[in-house]
Amino acid sequence: MFEARNMCSGYGEMAVLKDISFSVKDEIFAVLGANGAGKTTLLKTLARLLPVQSGDLTLDGSDVSATPAYSMPGAGVAYVPQEGNVFPDLSVLENLSIGGRTGHRSKAEKLDEVFALFPRLKERRSQAAGSLSGGEGQMLAVGRALMQDPQVLLLDEPSAGLSPLFVDTLFTSIADTRRDRGLTIVLAEQNAVKTLEIADRVMVLSLGEMHLLRDRADLSMSDITAAYHI
Amino acid sequence: MDYLIFSFSLMLVYIGLAQLLHIQFGMAGIPNFGVVGFWGLGLYGTGVLYLTYDVPLFIAIAMASLLSAAAGYVLALLVLQRSGQAVLAATLALSAIIATLIVSEKDITGGVQGLGTIKFPFGDMDGRNIVFMVFILIVVIALVWLSAKLRDSRMGRQLVAIRDNEELAASLGKNTASTKRWVFAVTCGMMGVLGGMSAPLHQFLVPYQLAPSLTFAVWIALVLGGKGHNLGATVGVFVTFGLFDILIETYAPVPAEQAILLPNFKLFCYGLVLIMIIMFRPRGMLGEDKPRVRARPAQAQGVPRET
Repeated sequence: MFEARNMCSGYGEMAVLKDISFSVKDEIFAVLGANGAGKTTLLKTLARLLPVQSGDLTLDGSDVSATPAYSMPGAGVAYVPQEGNVFPDLSVLENLSIGGRTGHRSKAEKLDEVFALFPRLKERRSQAAGSLSGGEGQMLAVGRALMQDPQVLLLDEPSAGLSPLFVDTLFTSIADTRRDRGLTIVLAEQNAVKTLEIADRVMVLSLGEMHLLRDRADLSMSDITAAYHI
Repeated sequence: MDYLIFSFSLMLVYIGLAQLLHIQFGMAGIPNFGVVGFWGLGLYGTGVLYLTYDVPLFIAIAMASLLSAAAGYVLALLVLQRSGQAVLAATLALSAIIATLIVSEKDITGGVQGLGTIKFPFGDMDGRNIVFMVFILIVVIALVWLSAKLRDSRMGRQLVAIRDNEELAASLGKNTASTKRWVFAVTCGMMGVLGGMSAPLHQFLVPYQLAPSLTFAVWIALVLGGKGHNLGATVGVFVTFGLFDILIETYAPVPAEQAILLPNFKLFCYGLVLIMIIMFRPRGMLGEDKPRVRARPAQAQGVPRET
């Protein structure tokens, strides 16, 4: 379980996230907000790519506020960034392979699962990742994260720049993955409508501050719209 | 004939240096503009150990290469996690510091008066220079082969991943800082080996040999051939050093009164070819190595090696 208490984080001296407190466990936890709200900063902080400036961040009870990013996959955390999320000069297989060293299942088994979830990747496995379309690149990034056998999956705006048809497929895959693997998923998104279809709880960020944290069942679109405009 | 053997031996050293730069920059994305510094530490380290302390040549080369590797490691520790421009400036500055120290520490290095004579190994046998050239050839072929193996290995894929997106590689569990540091140190050490092997070629060492032109020649060759292709360095050195320094400068029937212009003409041609390459083939003459799926039994189902 990830737990943040009064956490501040940002870039260098500048604090982007201010006094954030929440916990996430066995659910799809959606983080909504407009551009610049701090969604990416939050996910990068959870992935330990940005420093915790103050407050606490724990994972399964252990303090991870000073843990280096390269130790997080070993702790069961996989991160899929919004942009630049594939290695363009490596093939699809090499991209998947580079994320597959954690966990105790065999790589072949994990690959079969990823290819079953995204058959398109199997067709293009020897192709350079830089030549994939935006949607295929997103599949590859999610597939590579799943190769890590994570307990917690951090997804940063996976629907950004994708066609509506593919967004449907992607969100279905995310929901299926959560159901089949029992993962905890932290999903930062701008697409509130699609996100509400699969999320268990929702947090709304605005200008780096948390303005709403509630179960989806207790939420309406008007609540979210109001929180967006605070 | 001796001059030709010298030129070929020197060309092989250039190929080796460009190959190491291919690993540093082409694979790992580390812009080392201090190639001549690490090569020079090997050159002078070997010279000092061999001449002043009577250390046998090959042991002197090994010890001097450790010095280059140590300098590479310390520099990496200080600057490698900073921006590319910072690394570029720091490596260039280190090579300038090494060149200055070699001039100023004349009690050790002989200063501007130089240091010599470093003899070829293998005793008094005839054709020692040819045997030594073959020795360098074997070392350089081994370097090219190892570099190809590296690209296809787990470490090679990790280097390419770090070059393409270091933050993403870190989030996938790769200790990028440590990997870059060690790769830089080892390749700088290998540059020192090539420097040490250059000592018997030059026989007499003078600070002029540590001019930045060596670094730029190696960079031009790599960019021409293709920084991301394993044979790019070799092709680039053949096109630049081989074509101009050996073929044209040595064998072209240039009238004596025009011969003085040849070095300038060479630089003009380097520049022209470089501009053409950057405009029309930005990834170099050979381009980039393609990602490959190897035909192994375990991969028949699409399973790559551990990464």
